This record gives sequence, C-alpha cells and structure tokens, in this order.
Amino acid sequence: MTTSTLPPPSPADAPPDRPPQRLKSGGSVVRKVSLRNLAAHKVRLALTVLSVVLGTAFIAGSFVFTDTLSHTFKGLLSDVGQGVDVQVTGQEDDSSGVPLADVDRIKTIDGVRAVQPVMSGQIVLIAADGKPTQSGGAPTEGLSYSPPAEQLGQPYEFTEGSPPTASGQIALNQGAMKLAKLQVGDHTKVLAPSTGTVDVTITGVYKTKTDTGGYIGALFAADQARSLFTDGKHIGTVYVAAQPGVSQDQLRARVAQQLPDMKVITGKQLQADTEKDINTALSFINYFLLAFGAIALLVGTFIIYNTFSMLVAQRLRELALLRAIGASRRQISRSVLLEAMLVGLTGSIIGIAAGVGLAYGLRSLLNSFNVGLPSGALQLTPRTIIVALLVGVLVTMFSAYTPARRAARTPPVAAMREEFASTGTSLRRRTAAAVGFGLLGAIALAFGGLAPSGGGAASLVGLGALAMIIAVLLGAPALSRPIVGAVGAVVARPFGAVGRLARTNAVRNPRRTAATAFALTLGLMLVTTIAVFGASAKHSINALVDNNVRADYVLTGPDAIGVPVQAGAVAEKVPGVASSLALSPLDVRINGKSSGGTAVDGPLAQLLPYKLISGRGELSGHNIMVSQTWAKDHKVGPGSSIAMVSSDKRSVTATVSGVYENNELLGPWLGSGDFGREVTPPQFEQNFVVLIKAQPGTNLATLRTNLENATDPFLVVKVQTAEEFKGSQADQINGLLGVLYGLLALAIVIAILGIINTLALSVVERRREIGMLRAVGIMRGQLRRTIYLESLLIAVFGAIVGVAMGLVFGPLFVHTLRDQGLGEISVPWGQAVLLLVLSAVVGVLAALWPAARAARTRPLEAIADL
Amino acid sequence: MNSIASTATGQNATPSASTSGHGVAARAVNVSKIYGAGDTQVSALDHVSVDFARAEFTAIMGPSGSGKSTLMHCLAGLDTVTEGSILIGDTDLTGLSDKKMTQLRRDRIGFVFQAFNLVPTLTALENITLPMDIAGHKVDEEWVRSVVTTLGLNDRLTHRPSELSGGQQQRVACARALASRPEIVFGDEPTGNLDSRSSSEVLNILRNSVTHLGQTVVIVTHDPRAASYADRVIFLADGQIVDELRAPTADSVLDRMKHLEEI
Repeated sequence: MTTSTLPPPSPADAPPDRPPQRLKSGGSVVRKVSLRNLAAHKVRLALTVLSVVLGTAFIAGSFVFTDTLSHTFKGLLSDVGQGVDVQVTGQEDDSSGVPLADVDRIKTIDGVRAVQPVMSGQIVLIAADGKPTQSGGAPTEGLSYSPPAEQLGQPYEFTEGSPPTASGQIALNQGAMKLAKLQVGDHTKVLAPSTGTVDVTITGVYKTKTDTGGYIGALFAADQARSLFTDGKHIGTVYVAAQPGVSQDQLRARVAQQLPDMKVITGKQLQADTEKDINTALSFINYFLLAFGAIALLVGTFIIYNTFSMLVAQRLRELALLRAIGASRRQISRSVLLEAMLVGLTGSIIGIAAGVGLAYGLRSLLNSFNVGLPSGALQLTPRTIIVALLVGVLVTMFSAYTPARRAARTPPVAAMREEFASTGTSLRRRTAAAVGFGLLGAIALAFGGLAPSGGGAASLVGLGALAMIIAVLLGAPALSRPIVGAVGAVVARPFGAVGRLARTNAVRNPRRTAATAFALTLGLMLVTTIAVFGASAKHSINALVDNNVRADYVLTGPDAIGVPVQAGAVAEKVPGVASSLALSPLDVRINGKSSGGTAVDGPLAQLLPYKLISGRGELSGHNIMVSQTWAKDHKVGPGSSIAMVSSDKRSVTATVSGVYENNELLGPWLGSGDFGREVTPPQFEQNFVVLIKAQPGTNLATLRTNLENATDPFLVVKVQTAEEFKGSQADQINGLLGVLYGLLALAIVIAILGIINTLALSVVERRREIGMLRAVGIMRGQLRRTIYLESLLIAVFGAIVGVAMGLVFGPLFVHTLRDQGLGEISVPWGQAVLLLVLSAVVGVLAALWPAARAARTRPLEAIADL
Repeated sequence: MNSIASTATGQNATPSASTSGHGVAARAVNVSKIYGAGDTQVSALDHVSVDFARAEFTAIMGPSGSGKSTLMHCLAGLDTVTEGSILIGDTDLTGLSDKKMTQLRRDRIGFVFQAFNLVPTLTALENITLPMDIAGHKVDEEWVRSVVTTLGLNDRLTHRPSELSGGQQQRVACARALASRPEIVFGDEPTGNLDSRSSSEVLNILRNSVTHLGQTVVIVTHDPRAASYADRVIFLADGQIVDELRAPTADSVLDRMKHLEEI
C-alpha cells in the first residue's frame, strides 16, 4: 500500500531529452490510495457494501410494494367511472336503493342518453369440489349483466362462451374459473344471503382488470340479479350517461332536482370517492409499510454507520501514514468520503434491485395467506430510485464522515503507535437525553393508559411508545453493560474463562453493541406487541364465548353471507333440538344516523344469558333492549320511545323495555326476530350465527350428524361446538398474525445480517488480540465458542430490550382498545421466552462465519505485523 | 552443519553442546525454515541446531532478517519448520496437530511479547491466570500471589491494561508467563517498547526467575544491554548460528555484534 503513495520521480531527475513528467497532485494520490484500498480488502468491502444493500433494499422494497399496490388499484379505478356521467343511489346508509319508478323517471330527464341499473350483492361460489371457493380477502360478488348496448363504459369482453341470458346462467371472470376449477358448461351452485342456494350453469368467461388476487365476479342475467340482490322495488345503483353537449355537472343538477331524496353524484365524483375508499382500505398496509420503511432506514443507517466507524478505526494507521507524509486533513476526509460515495452508490444500486425482489417476495408471501393483493407489474418509480440512492449514498457518506474526521484529527504519531486504543467518549450526555425521552414516554404511556378507551388513548400510547423507542435508542449503550453482565453471569458462567472473554467482549464497545442489537430490538418489540394483541384477542373471544354462550352447537357461515336464513330454519326442526337462537343484523336510522343492532330470534336468556340492569327483558313487538353504554349515550331508559326509520323508509317507533350490561356478543341494542324482519328487506336478511341447544338426554354426536345432514344442502354451514367455534376464531387471528410475523421476519433477517457484519468486522479488528490468545493457548474451538457467546449475548441483549418494550406497549395498546372487543389482556409469556431463546439461537447462527474466520487466525499474527 | 557456527566465527564457544548439566528444556535439530517458493523463496533458517539448557537465561541476537525471530517462533510452537525438528522437553513438535500444539503452548510455555500481550477487556489478574483458566486448570493461588508480589503488581490486579503503564503491562505479561510454571518462557523483544527503567524491571524479573526459581528463559532482542542479563547469548546471521557468548556484558555483546556486521 505504501509504495503506491511514493511520489513520482521529480522532473529534475528525469533525463533532459524527455518532457518533464507531470506531477500528480497530492489529492489524486490520496484518492488512488482510497480506491486501491477499496479493492485490496475484498471481504471488508463486501461487508460494507452489504450493509448499504440491506438498508436500501428495505427502503426500495417498501416503496416498490406500495407503489405497485396503488398503481394496480388506480388502474382498476380508471374503469370504475368510465362512461358514467352521473350515479344515482339511495342516501348514505340507506340500503334499499333507488325505487324502480325513479329509474324510469331518470330515463325521461332531458339530456340523458342511457341508463344502466346495477344490481349486485355478495355471494358464495361453490367450486368444482363442492366446497365454497376461497377468495381470501378479495370480494366475491354477483352482478347484473348488461348487454354492450346498455353497458356504459367498457363492455365485458368474453374470452369463452357467451353472456348469461336467462335465470340459472352465469358468466365468471377468468380468475374465478381458475380458482373454482370450473369449465364452461359446468353446473354448480351459488349462494346468496337471503335466497340460499341457486343452481347455475356457466355459460361464459370474461376478462377483467380486477382479475387478480382472488376476485370473483359472477354475471347474472338482469332478471335473476334483480330477484337475488334487490327487493323487487328498488335498484341499488343506477348509472346514467349524458347526451353529447351535456356536462356531468349539468346532468347531475337535473337528476338531483328530479330525485331530491336520492344521492346523485357525477362520474368524476364517483371516481374520486372510490379512490378515497380504496386509499382508506389500503391505508393500514401503507402505514405498516411506511413504519417498516422507517425501521428499515434506521436499521440500515445503523448498520452502515457501525461498519464505517469500524473500517476507519482499522485504517487509522494507514490514514496516519498518509498524514505523516503530508496529506492534509481535508485530503484524508475527502478520500474517505469518496470511498464512502462509491460504496454507497454500488450498494444502493444493488439494494434497489434487491428491493424489487423483496417486494415481489412480500407480495407472494401475503398472497400465500390469501390476502388477495392484485398481481400487476411491479412498479419501480423514479422516486423510489432517487430516494434509495440518496439515502444510501448520503447515509454512507455521513456514516463515514464522522469517524473520518476523528481519524484526520488523530495526530499521525499517536495513530501509528501500535496500541492505539479506540477512545470511548462519555455516554453521559447520550444517556441523559435517553432518560429525558424515557420520562416523556412514560408520562404519555401513563396518560394513554388512564384515558378513556378509544383512538385518542391509542394515539397517546403510540406517542409514548415512540418516545420510549428513542429513549432506548439513546440509552441502549448504557443499558448494555448491566444487561449483558446479568445475562452473561447466567449464560456464560458455565464456560469459565471463555465465557468471561465473551462477556467482556460483548460490552467492550457499548455503542457498537447497542447499534448492532437495535435492529433485533425493534423487530422483537413489534413481534411481541403483535403477539400480545393476538393473545388478547383470542383470550377475549374465548372469555366472551365461555361466559355467555350456553349452546351445544354453533352454526356459522362465510363472513360474506353468514348462515342462510333457511338453514337456520331447517336446523331448528332437527329432532333433539330444544331451542335455537339466530342472531342477525338490524340496520335502521335513528335521528338521521344509521344504527346497527342485533335481532335475536329465539330464547335469548337460555342460550346467551345477559345481565339485566334495569327494566324488563322483553323483546316482543316493538320492544327493544339497549346496552348500558348505548342507554347512556342516547339518554334513554326503560319506557323511552325511540323513533326509527327502516331501510325501506318506513317509520317504526320502538320502546325500550330494559337495559343490559354491555356485552360484545349482543352489541348496542336488541330487537326481536319479528322486529328484524319488519325493518329489513328480505334480500338483506342473513344470520351471523345460529346457536343450538340440545334437549336433555339427546346424544350430542347424533345431533351433530343430524344438524350437519340438515344443513348440508346449504353447503357453507359449519356445525361446531363452542370449543371448536373458539378454535376457528383463534385460527382466523392466527392467520392474520402469520402475515404480520412474515413481514417482521424480514426485519429479523436484516438484524441477523447486521450482527454478522459487525462481528466479522470486529474479528478483523481484534486480529492481533485473537492471535495472542491463540499463542497463549486458546483452542480453536474455544475461540469459536467465545465468538458464539459474544454474539449470543448481543442478540439476547437486543431481544430482552425489545421483548420488554413489547410487553409494555402491547398490553397498553390492548387496554386502550378495551371497548373495541379487546376486554381481556393476555400476555403470551411462553412466546416471550421462546423469542428470547430463538434470539440466542439467532445470535449463534450469526456468529458461525465470523467465528470460523477468527479460528483461522494464526498465533503469529499477534507478534508479526502481517 | 551446526559446527559451522563456531568455526565460522573462530570463537572458543561451542554453541550446540553448551548445556549446563540440568538437562535440555528445548532443542532445535537441524532446523530449516523456507518461506515462499520459486523466485521469491527466502530461507529464514538454514539447518540450525541448538540446545537450551534448563534453568538458563538465553538471549538470541542478530541483525534484522537474521532469522532470530523465526527461530524463536519455531521453538515456541508458533510456527512450523520446513525441515528438521523442534523438541520441548521430550516432545517433538514436528507433525503435532494444532490442538496438541495449542495445548503445549498453553500448558508448557510462557510468552512475553513486545506488544499486544494482554486482553484489553480483562483485568490484570484475569490476564495473569488466563492460560490456566482457558485450560480449566486450578490456579495455584499461593504461587500466583507470590509471583504477583515479587513483580510488585499487588495494587494493580483489578486494573485493566489501559489503566496500566507500558512497563506495568509488560510486568503483567511476565506474571502471566510465570504463573503457570511453564517449562520454558519465550520473550519476543519483551523490552522493545519500554523505557530503560521499565526495561530493567522486566529483565530483572526474568533474570530472577532463572536464578531463584530455576526457570528456563529464552528471549529475542536486539538490545545488547538486555542480552547482558542472560547467561548465554546466541548470534544469528543469514539464518545460521554464527556465534555464542557466555556470561555476557553489554560491552562484550556490542563487540560481537560489531564484529558480526563486519563479516
């Protein structure tokens, strides 16, 4: 290395007949050293670039993923309002829709070119194997088919067969055909919530942009769609097209004038509304990914920073030599920065590519959980590239600059002396700041915990959590000594001297230890918080079922349609059934606002015992019962009259008979089954769930078989005991947790790579010391064990802090949502311990390669300057 | 070949046979060490044979590149020989596995290096008992205490290396080398980084361990004053033993060195 820094021969020495050699400036020599230095240490270079790749891949991946999602959805949206100039629907929350007479009236309005009634509703499609088709999170709907002449916007494009023309015929989108494994000409069944099963023949297959991620759209002939999805008097949505020369706004005004009771919006507004809806629906995943990106950025920055501080420390002597031969501080800084820029650039470019791969993997992962994400082309926007490049290069240069400045400030002689100990500056200021943030966080957490349940409290806890994370970020170096010491005292003790070496190594550089462990801390904090959520949700449901449900069997159906009404009726008549209780939704308007109650059809007290606070438990006629909270909010009590408007606009006056203690299963208010049927159009009738109680002495197994046989024609009804019901609810929660854990696994992988990186570099850094240890007799195995233990201690340190934070945040978040069905806090202690054990394993795995490298160190390296 | 050394210099000393009757602690037999291959091949040791008697203090001297460090590394089991054999006591190091070699260094040899002797994260006492701790051997506390006391380290035991002066660090290294009562202590320029007062302290420690405890000590040095503490000085040049001196003084060593350079 040093030879390359020798100045070229001075011109005076050159033979006179040759032109004098051009002297290269000192700067370019320093730069040359910089570049050669990069090439000379391949492993070191690879690790450094890797750290940048990790950081930027995470960022780019997050962006690519969200961009792809929103791009695909925007693509779908461009179709939504196409050809539609005005949309007419019932007023908000009014499910009945546009009266048929009004539809005819629209046709007569001046400026209307065409009118397309849209009738749609949720259905279940039975697949070729006789089971309901699983669409994951994507919608499954039935739609009325309009011939091209009546279809506003893009007409359906059929790839096979023909459109449905009569009742009993449907056409499916390509994705649905594949999902259900059906062919044109096949006979199958479709379930609609109110009408039960409908036999259908598949007449054709059409193409749609929506055709991704599990969407099922069954096209019905208009007549059948009307009977399935409307009450025969209303149409849900009506699309209107304007004649040439009539603007959307003009037409909207005319229609609105004619139909003052209807909600009339322009096609543009429709597009905007739909976009807003979808953005709202996507906001969870967007926030999650943004949070993820922020974590990625933080973790990436840490890894890069760590790597560069170590690199420059290792190169102190080399830099000192350059200083000694006359390079200025600025030249040194510039050379290090140039190096950092190259590394940052290379790493970022690879990182962007890796990010695209990451996004692809993420989507595949999510879709393997049936989340139903569309599978359009991955979107790599210029913004993604610019942000990733900027972050990668700037963070790398910043990370390199601080240690480089320190290096440049080190007197050359001090740096060239053999034992140049890296000076550990005081942690006092950093720790003081950590305590400050910790106090702020604790106050916010406490207020959040004490605040009434709801979004405000959750935000307070969120703020507190953020302050705590910053506190931990700042305070981790100070925390590392006691925690690693304590863990080491337990874990490393059996390893004797090796254990002691590992323990002291792990806290040798508290900043580095903390930075290395931080990725794991963040990841496990999230995992633990989510685990507490999951456990609490499961526990809450279990408690709810255990405390309230007195049924022998629970009948359930798919979320979209529930238990078909007829299935409930059939089940009630099965021999051996003493009583059955069907719960169904009640939608009315009270004081102009929509209000959702529960209709209970059956002996409520027997199957779902509730606690009456005041009044009578009577639900006959127009009597309703209300929950404590609802009574308080609406200032009503036994005897109060409540004016309601049904969804088909009939006024009903209900009388409060009693007030019951809040009950998640019952909801805010109850009406009788008859009341429910009175205010709900038949096509919207559905049961959430039907509870069955057996006659005393009935063989439960026989009853189950009979129930299953009786409900079999409805295909989608599941017969479960209360225990099984709890289990299936838990499965749903586990599925959701699985998705989140899958995402967090990425963070853990990054954390592991970060640990590997730091360890590998610190092994290089400690080469001489390791050589000395080998000389005085440490075995290769012992040396490896030392590194394993050191890594284990760092990982467990990170895990303990992360899990501890999760155990604080998780219960607090659950507590703030105690009124949203998360009444019970459950802490998954077993899982928390498992996480700590796993992190120990992860620590050892991360150390495998660095330890192998360390074990190859020859004893002579301690003495000889190799 | 070993006779070349004495004949070449014409001195009356006989290098390879000069044991003082207590037996041999370490022995190099016809040792060659060749680095590299082909054009870049360098012969660091050229058929060297030498014995190191028990309870004797030997200094190995020679100009840079003479092979003195290589000889010590080979003797101490830190490096392997290309040809010939090394014996520590009766154990032939040739062909020993890494494990056996490490064990031998740990249990039978003590080291004092020029620098990087100590583990920075361990206290002085922990550094002193490190080889025994690694081996899982019981530490002879009485002995360690007496070594520590002799070396004047009693009030420094809980300090970390960074809290010790260079001389104190080297004394801790000496204490470590002596604490496990090895068969032989090797020093690689043990005073190379020290001022003259600290040098004297370290050399006196080594000298006394030979005189009073019967310890065998071999050091490599380029400092005639350091060599004068030894019972015997061996001179190397170009990979061969070229001279030997008994009961050296700083002046006599310097004389020989000058003489060597003139050859």
